[in-house]
Amino acid sequence: MTTTEKIHQIIEMGPIKNIFNWGRKNSVYFLMQPMGCCGVEMFVFGAAPYDSDRFGCIPRNTPRQTDVMIISGYLTRKYLPVFKNLWDEMPEPKWCIAIGECAISGGPFYDSYNIVQNTADHFPIDVFIPGCPPRPEQFLEGLMNLQEKIKQRKDKRDY
Amino acid sequence: MDIIGSISQFAAQEPAIFALIIGVIGAAVIAAVVNVGAMLVIWGERKVLSDFCNRFGPNRVGGRWGILQLGADAIKLFTKEDIIPADADKGVYVWAPIVASMGTMLVAAAIPFGALHIGGKDYPLVVANMDISAFYVEAALSIMAIAVFMAGYSSNNKYSMLGAFRGVARMIAYEVPMGVCVISVAVMAHSLNLVEIVQSQTVWYAFAQPLGFVIFVIALITDLGRIPFDQSEAEEEIISGYNTEYSGIRWGLLYFQEYNNALLGSILLSLLFLGGWQGPIIPIPVLDIISPLIWLLMKVIIVLWFFIWVRSSLFRLRIDQVTDLGWKWMLPLSLLNLGWAVLVGSYFA
Amino acid sequence: MTNASEVLSSIQSAFPGAVLDSRVESDRRLWATIDSKKILDVCKHLSTKLNFDHYSGAAGVDWIARKEMEVVEIMASHGTHQVVAMLKVKTPRENPSVKSLTGLYWNANWYEREIWEMFGINFEGHPELWPLLLSDELMGAWPWRKDYKGYPDLTTGERAVKISTPEGYTEYHIPPTPAEVEAGTVVVERPKYPTLREREEKEIKSDSEMIMHLGPQHAMVPGPFLLDVLVEGERVHKAFLDLGYIHKGIEKIMENRSWLQGITYTDRMCYVASLSNNECYCGAVEKILGLEVPLRAQYIRVILEELSRIQSHLIGTGEFLTLIAGVGYAPWQYMIIDRENIISLIESVTGARLTHTFVRFGGVRNDLPAGFADQCKKVLPYMKSRTEEFIELFAQDPIYHKRMDGVGIIRPDDAKRMGVSGPPLRATGVAYDMRKEDPILVYPELDFKVVTGTKGDSADRIDVRLREMLESIHIIEQCLDRIPEGPIRTEVKVPKKVPAGEAYYRVEDPRGEMGMYVISDGGDKPYRVKVRGPFYATFQTLTPLLEGTYIADAVAIAGSMDGCPSEADR
Repeated sequence: MTTTEKIHQIIEMGPIKNIFNWGRKNSVYFLMQPMGCCGVEMFVFGAAPYDSDRFGCIPRNTPRQTDVMIISGYLTRKYLPVFKNLWDEMPEPKWCIAIGECAISGGPFYDSYNIVQNTADHFPIDVFIPGCPPRPEQFLEGLMNLQEKIKQRKDKRDY
Repeated sequence: MDIIGSISQFAAQEPAIFALIIGVIGAAVIAAVVNVGAMLVIWGERKVLSDFCNRFGPNRVGGRWGILQLGADAIKLFTKEDIIPADADKGVYVWAPIVASMGTMLVAAAIPFGALHIGGKDYPLVVANMDISAFYVEAALSIMAIAVFMAGYSSNNKYSMLGAFRGVARMIAYEVPMGVCVISVAVMAHSLNLVEIVQSQTVWYAFAQPLGFVIFVIALITDLGRIPFDQSEAEEEIISGYNTEYSGIRWGLLYFQEYNNALLGSILLSLLFLGGWQGPIIPIPVLDIISPLIWLLMKVIIVLWFFIWVRSSLFRLRIDQVTDLGWKWMLPLSLLNLGWAVLVGSYFA
Repeated sequence: MTNASEVLSSIQSAFPGAVLDSRVESDRRLWATIDSKKILDVCKHLSTKLNFDHYSGAAGVDWIARKEMEVVEIMASHGTHQVVAMLKVKTPRENPSVKSLTGLYWNANWYEREIWEMFGINFEGHPELWPLLLSDELMGAWPWRKDYKGYPDLTTGERAVKISTPEGYTEYHIPPTPAEVEAGTVVVERPKYPTLREREEKEIKSDSEMIMHLGPQHAMVPGPFLLDVLVEGERVHKAFLDLGYIHKGIEKIMENRSWLQGITYTDRMCYVASLSNNECYCGAVEKILGLEVPLRAQYIRVILEELSRIQSHLIGTGEFLTLIAGVGYAPWQYMIIDRENIISLIESVTGARLTHTFVRFGGVRNDLPAGFADQCKKVLPYMKSRTEEFIELFAQDPIYHKRMDGVGIIRPDDAKRMGVSGPPLRATGVAYDMRKEDPILVYPELDFKVVTGTKGDSADRIDVRLREMLESIHIIEQCLDRIPEGPIRTEVKVPKKVPAGEAYYRVEDPRGEMGMYVISDGGDKPYRVKVRGPFYATFQTLTPLLEGTYIADAVAIAGSMDGCPSEADR
């Protein structure tokens, strides 16, 4: 057992992990990536009236500095490779939220020739927020659910 | 008394070692003060900017003011995965944030953080009270530009590269007028020592040389890379500029140094132009000792608030307009201001 | 005043025998089938002699039963007359090919590329026939043909294949479905969209140049699209556009939904202007059905569409401001806050924030709620004062003018040539507004001005949008005063099957001229729906417009167009 592993074990056991998760849950930066109708609501969710900043959740433009990827709409065949790259560029620990029917199951475009129907096949999605598009309040609810999940270590990512 | 006696005895016997120990303690204290100060600046910026934007800002962790928000951010950044891009210039990439923090610590070493008013006399709080501190501080502030270039160049990313170019072009254009402004102040004060500059300000230099003040403020905002001069980081144009590839703690350090610099820069502005810690002594016991500190703190807060106000109400300039402004207006005007300072300075001398 | 029959007779006299079939629907609509050999000459005649200077778009139609394909060229004029000529060109289904109009109309480029990749109709003389919306692996499948086998495709998610490139990158590829392979529709040897490396090899002339991606994920983009810029330092030498990152195939999906279900899809085309999209589709279907919309319903539609225009302009301008001032800039947040007022007004009627599905064939879904007029009268004066404040703010800001004046200038004749419409066109000084040009609903009875700019630069485009909001407020105030009592839906029962026919209907979307071309074959589903989106046309102008600008300006110009890639991709 190397020293690093030992340190990890100690962290795993003790309350330090809780402190880590407290920090992570209160500082969720999301990737600014408007993709569809939900993208507009995402824009509003980050702006004044709904103000995600209250929860320490602010938009960043580079995937390197983000913690959560919001799939905010239709994922097309052409866009999927790009999107996977973006996901790979994000540093661990990272989470993924699927917003809207299109991101969850294809939604109204379930039978389109160009839409990827089940994003859960490609990304380990933590929170699904249904709606077409969901209201910004639902975004906030989803964010709080994610925070709760991180706090209770139920994201099964072994962070 | 016994301890103090033995310390003074030790100081008399081994002056060099004593000075070293005092220096190390001072450095640690200063580093702590600056970093905590910068954290408060970041928190303050988020809250004040939220106020300008008609929203709340962080208010979930640490009570209704969200005072622990920065703690959460720091913990998250510390425990993030550390990514170094495959094609990055590893050495330079790793060293860029360290150089940036080195720069701010160098500034912090020479800048007076205020004074204590004991027995009718001001004792400045400064680690290294050097004779050319004004010039030294101004030079050390621009080490950040080197760090920016290192970060941008080593990332092997097109956006970062552009950000680095922009940062350097801007730095060169504005460092000169800024230096000339410092010289004008020194000419009036007959000294390059920041402590003496503060003590010589019977009239604030902001009033004695208003032109120089305005130029210095603009050049300082440019140096700090804040809107309207944040081209090296222009989020909407080049993703995140020079720190596009940085993640986790490395990005945290770079981001932190910007605010460190903002804090130190606003202290420098208050010292050079706004009378530093000078102000009427509050005639209450204990408060009278730290009243110079209070005055300086108030000035610094006002300056920082002004920076945030500017950020929330001005548009970003284009990089060619920035350099145009720097070379064609700031530099000649700062030279004009130097002439004015020489005239007025020699008249009063 | 030219009318449709005069246009027809002019064509017939100039080119005897060229018009194979024709129908004059009204003074403003001309349907004509033109001999495919003479289409170029006819178009030239129309544009030079009869002032048809507005190439509005083209639609492909697959008539599988008749074993032929059709390309419908939609021609109109910028204000000289109001005739829309729908010229059809027929071509056999085997090896379909028609003449390209790119030589005559610059903006025919994208429309023809789209028809080519969706239907496989070749365009003779087209300069760059490569994919526009589809990804390379779907090329050759011709998805909009009626016999496309890959539809519906429910397996894309499972089929993605991970490929490691020699350079160490990971790429993903979605192969065609077995059905597509079996049908033999997938032909691999097709022109492909050039990769970045190919483009670099072709375009980069010196060491100081590089190609930089702005998108598909970028703070600038209001939805994913790829803008590649060839830069030398800060200067943009050339720009390349690639869209299709959110191409959903709405036109194909609508062919497989009932007439009523189609309305929900129009919502999702441009989600910040969904009411005008609803209106456009419903208007076209009403035209085929010959339905009269009751007066009250017309007023309700106008009120909601104008409210929708206000909120669209607010969010468009807000996004633009973040591009040139950063997210810390306070006024854009004020715009979003103000927009919430309008949104809640719309919501009180339609029940949704963005996707309303409110307009129905021959009316609207529900009546205005009680107290709506009072609420409007409270909000609108406030919005008016706020808008005037914004106009004043930008008029006075020196840095704003330093950044935006003279940036991205479109000259009026260029704008006409490129098919731009809406605020970008009006900013150049051309008073071209569908509400005046091809009036629908109760617009002719209302008093409003067409707001125009003078210089056609980015600052003007924003200014036009803001002043248009004032006009919209004025329109709503008039409507609230005049709105009569009465039914909100037509008395006639709307049939499930729409009689065979076709219609082209135009509305003024917040982004410009939106037209829908709807064909019915008498079934319970549309046979073909073609959407002529305003941003699709404006989008095309970005490439020439960005040449020679700075990167910062490129972002600002793209932002000042108030983009909606979702509507361009459909």
